[in-house]
Amino acid sequence: MSVDGDPRPAGAIERCDVAVVGGGPAGLSAALHLARLGAYVILLDEAEELGGQYFKRRQGSVLAKHGDFRPEGTSLISAVRASGVRCWTECSVWGVGEDERTLLVAGPEDEPRSVSARAVLVATGGYERSIPFSGWQLPGVVTPGYALHLATCDRIPVGQRAVVAGTGPFLLPVSCALLDVGVEVAAVVEVNRPYRPSLRVAAALAHPARLAEFASYRAVLARRKVPLLQGWQVVEANGSGALERVRIESVGGREAGREYDVDALAVAYGFRPATELVRLLGARCEVRQGDLFPRTDGRGRTTAEGVYVAGESAGIAGVHVARLRGEVTAASIAADLGLPGAAEPARATLRRLRRGEAFSAVTADLYPVPDSLISGLCDGTVICRCEGVTAGQIRAADAVGWNDRNSVKGATRAGMGPCQGRECAPAVAALCGASGSTEPFPARMPIKPVPIRVAMGESAEEVS
Amino acid sequence: MTTSTADVVVIGAGILGAAAAHELAAAGHRVVVLERRAPNREGSGTTAGNLHIQAIHTRRPGQPIPADNRRFLPLQLAASQLWGDLEDRLDADLEVRRNGGFMVAETAEQTRELVEKNRMEAELGLRTEVLDGTAARSELPLLSERVVAATWCELDGYANPLLVAPAYLTAARQHGAVVRGFSPVTRIARTGRTWQVSTSDGTWSTPTVINAAGPWIGQVAELGGTRLNMTPVAIQMHVTTRVRPIMRHLVQHIGEGMSVKQVSAGHLLIGGGWPAERLDLSGRSAPSLASMRGNLLQAARILPFLADLQLLRMWAGPLAATPDEMPVIGEVPGAPGFFVAGGTYAFTLAPLWASALARLVAGGSPPLPIDDLGPARLCADAAVTS
Repeated sequence: MSVDGDPRPAGAIERCDVAVVGGGPAGLSAALHLARLGAYVILLDEAEELGGQYFKRRQGSVLAKHGDFRPEGTSLISAVRASGVRCWTECSVWGVGEDERTLLVAGPEDEPRSVSARAVLVATGGYERSIPFSGWQLPGVVTPGYALHLATCDRIPVGQRAVVAGTGPFLLPVSCALLDVGVEVAAVVEVNRPYRPSLRVAAALAHPARLAEFASYRAVLARRKVPLLQGWQVVEANGSGALERVRIESVGGREAGREYDVDALAVAYGFRPATELVRLLGARCEVRQGDLFPRTDGRGRTTAEGVYVAGESAGIAGVHVARLRGEVTAASIAADLGLPGAAEPARATLRRLRRGEAFSAVTADLYPVPDSLISGLCDGTVICRCEGVTAGQIRAADAVGWNDRNSVKGATRAGMGPCQGRECAPAVAALCGASGSTEPFPARMPIKPVPIRVAMGESAEEVS
Repeated sequence: MTTSTADVVVIGAGILGAAAAHELAAAGHRVVVLERRAPNREGSGTTAGNLHIQAIHTRRPGQPIPADNRRFLPLQLAASQLWGDLEDRLDADLEVRRNGGFMVAETAEQTRELVEKNRMEAELGLRTEVLDGTAARSELPLLSERVVAATWCELDGYANPLLVAPAYLTAARQHGAVVRGFSPVTRIARTGRTWQVSTSDGTWSTPTVINAAGPWIGQVAELGGTRLNMTPVAIQMHVTTRVRPIMRHLVQHIGEGMSVKQVSAGHLLIGGGWPAERLDLSGRSAPSLASMRGNLLQAARILPFLADLQLLRMWAGPLAATPDEMPVIGEVPGAPGFFVAGGTYAFTLAPLWASALARLVAGGSPPLPIDDLGPARLCADAAVTS
């Protein structure tokens, strides 16, 4: 039989000037600027409401009782909706057509849609960087971002008593938010030593506003007598059926380990960009410290023509930079599309962006992820939670001497579960870094599992 | 640069190279396996893993001519037996499942083909059964009303292609075989009856070379001074997320390239030899969206429950096809000691080809006649039969 003709188009193709994928701070900001310049913009987001992670909305009774959360998000979202941007919420971009431009989308009713745009802006954000440790799969072990959403959007305490751990400035506001909803924070466990005087810390003095923000969080922790341990790491979570105890050790093992009886542990080691879509669109990325970062011209242009990236998916730098990147990338797109009214971004905007990105470089420098976190894992530690693959199995597959990272995946199933290696790929790579090629797991379709009927281009009623 | 000697140099660590290496090492030969990248990463690791025992009938979409299914069947039967105790012989769990398989028909014409196929199978010694649509559905209620008939073969099955070649290699190594990954062969020379096979970090002198390089068979043959007319293609597979055990059988279609099964991990694997976007021998072949839609639509037509599952992943991999769609196995004419093994249905036939190669290398005769499947017909000057 012939396969010359595509049996069916994947839903009707929507055409627009710009498709913005991701309705967080960067995507919202870019969509707004482009719409104001007269571009026909479709903004796609997986969630029911725009906002992304940072501007996640409070709903229903929580909203009524506690008021709006981060009201600047509400006004940004309203401005976007009023600007004529077509907002496709509950729409998941799962793939890219053969032209490396058309976006394949699963709509809210699991109906197939496609979007063909003159420019695609990827603003898909980042992931919290989870690093495996013994017991990390126990219920009660969550990421700081998850604990924060529970505390802020839903006003739900993640547990009665918690340890907040990992690395990054993010641990401080998360701890404060937990205190605010009545969680007893037993300790903040930071693997680095960023809050001690050093030359690297001195570089942060150039950013007094950011430092003042951190100082206020630290003041809250001090007032509530929450210990902030630096140079310590979580090594083990224990409990029968759910988390009961967390064990921490000092990096280098100079001090005796400590244990905390807690029912919640919020742990992650910063963030990394979500690059699956950028890669499927043909843009090149580079590997830094085991994570992929899209190559850009500094103004959102990737190496693929017509493909742009902004926000955390362009590199982790926080909400201020995300919004500025959205604005600056919108200007790049407007110029490249020749939109009337396209103009250079304001010099003040570029200056603030440069300063913001400089601060994020300082932050990356202050909060690195030590290699020993992974290399020191014992063989029994589960690395791939989806498929239950341990460090020992990965090391054994690597040790046969003829496997590379992708064949270790094949031999162990690490990275083959529903998350497709999003969580464990860096750990798998680190565990078998020495042998063979070091190419990362390729970005593959579907980016996230998609209903078969959507993949084959049919709505529910069409298949009998 | 070092020069070493070996009894046999196997080029390619896919399932055929690995199986041949195991068979030969177990027979006492000093075997070296040279693999350009990581073992089992190409056709053997990306294939569906079907054990095709009922007669091959369908063409891949786009396949120009059908395989000679009558010629294939005795090979499949011999391979079927060898798969029976392979896990014991390799002392490994290969997730071999022999729960039988259906080949379905949707039209009267296809039903006639099923009946003819069933008659031929009986004649050649394979027991299959023709069921009407209702009987097929009572055996497998997941089949849609569009199925008007099906043949049933209790020997059909599948194994996990990610496990088989590595298990062969591990067993080969226990018999002393040396496996070198990331060692592309750069040069093959011959002095008298000795071959010198070189990689960037060493040369092996050997009386016997086995070219089991899959889609690179043609290139490796050319290094050895022979032009073989191979026609490699790239095909693709689709897999759903895990679901509870729902289907134990292999389901194929007599008129179209289609195979569906649920593997032991719970995923449904959907394939059928649909062509990938293009064959990329320097990197990874990319799946085609048109093939994805075609394959999924067709599979959901026969097994409607699939439409409600989630597509987890798809991938493409090469297939070492020949112009006549038949396997190639044997010594290359004019190149004594230089053997080639490959071609379609290599996964099912691997244990048989390993045994045949071991006997050919030892100067004996293969377990069943395969002279007609030798590389002579693919040599550049030979006329291609169809």
